[in-house]
Amino acid sequence: MDAQHERDEDRVRESRHLIMRVLLALLLVGLAFNTQAASIEARLVRGSNDTKAVDSKLQDLEPKLKKQFGYEYYQQLGVQKARLQENKTRRLNLGEGFVLFVTPKSIVEKVHELDLEWTSGRASLVKTTVRIPEGDYLFIKGPAVADDWILLVVTVHGS
Amino acid sequence: MSRHQTETISGLLDGELKGFRRWTTERHVNRCPICAVEYRRQRHVRRMLQANPSPVQMTDSAEFFWSKVKAEIRHRGVKRHQTPGLLPVWLRHHPFAATGGVIVAAAVFSAVLWMRAPEPLSHPAAAAPTTSAKVERVKTAIPHTTATPLSSDSSQVTVIWVSGLPWTPNMNAMKTEFANLDT
Repeated sequence: MDAQHERDEDRVRESRHLIMRVLLALLLVGLAFNTQAASIEARLVRGSNDTKAVDSKLQDLEPKLKKQFGYEYYQQLGVQKARLQENKTRRLNLGEGFVLFVTPKSIVEKVHELDLEWTSGRASLVKTTVRIPEGDYLFIKGPAVADDWILLVVTVHGS
Repeated sequence: MSRHQTETISGLLDGELKGFRRWTTERHVNRCPICAVEYRRQRHVRRMLQANPSPVQMTDSAEFFWSKVKAEIRHRGVKRHQTPGLLPVWLRHHPFAATGGVIVAAAVFSAVLWMRAPEPLSHPAAAAPTTSAKVERVKTAIPHTTATPLSSDSSQVTVIWVSGLPWTPNMNAMKTEFANLDT
């Protein structure tokens, strides 16, 4: 009688474990979908006419930067990526004391509404709210250092 | 023109004066020996400068220089530069008339404002031409600094131009500058 009871109990345990595994799998699938959310990429760039500022990392962006700012060469000083999560502020340390705070507000048809704050040290350089489609670029012209300009390039990558 | 105004004489030589002002200034210069001497002196200096122009040295390429000029013009908008006029000179010597003029001007301005239908205030961001990305709001907390969204020829690019940020000679100086700049 006791043996029969233990066998039944094992079956119940097994079925419980199976259900838990299925639920866990479903949870993981859900998380996987969630982690495929859009991401933001911020690059800190130095625009210069000095040949030392040549940077192969910015080959894709160089024509656009040249058109907007006119410098011959562009050097990537820092880059950070972060996944976007609604109303959650991300801090992107871009190097040289520059930090970008990003808070996604909403997303409509792959157009992301973002609150951005670009800071350096204790100073808030600029605060903005932008609606930026995935794949588009936001350039921010920042401070001048010697004959060069410090620029911020922001883009949103889709899921 | 009752007083000796070197700026006005300079304006006459530069061709900035037109119409009545030009006529009165020329008349004064012809009659006033002090201004005639000043006129001849300035004309002599101009001729010497024209004959011996200083060589222009540019560190930037022409293309880059014009891109900076265009960007600055877009940022500042159209600002008219005015040379000192005949009326302000006259007003300086008649302070009561100046005060009265200011009161009358203020009254007229107030009346115009009062009669005018109210219009919605436009934010700089709203005035920017529509691009694919749209700047809803933009501001900067640093004094004497402005942040302006600019239109771009490229459909995929939007630019925010922050002007008036402190200039520094190198990256370390910049870090120190902003580390001490509390906003």
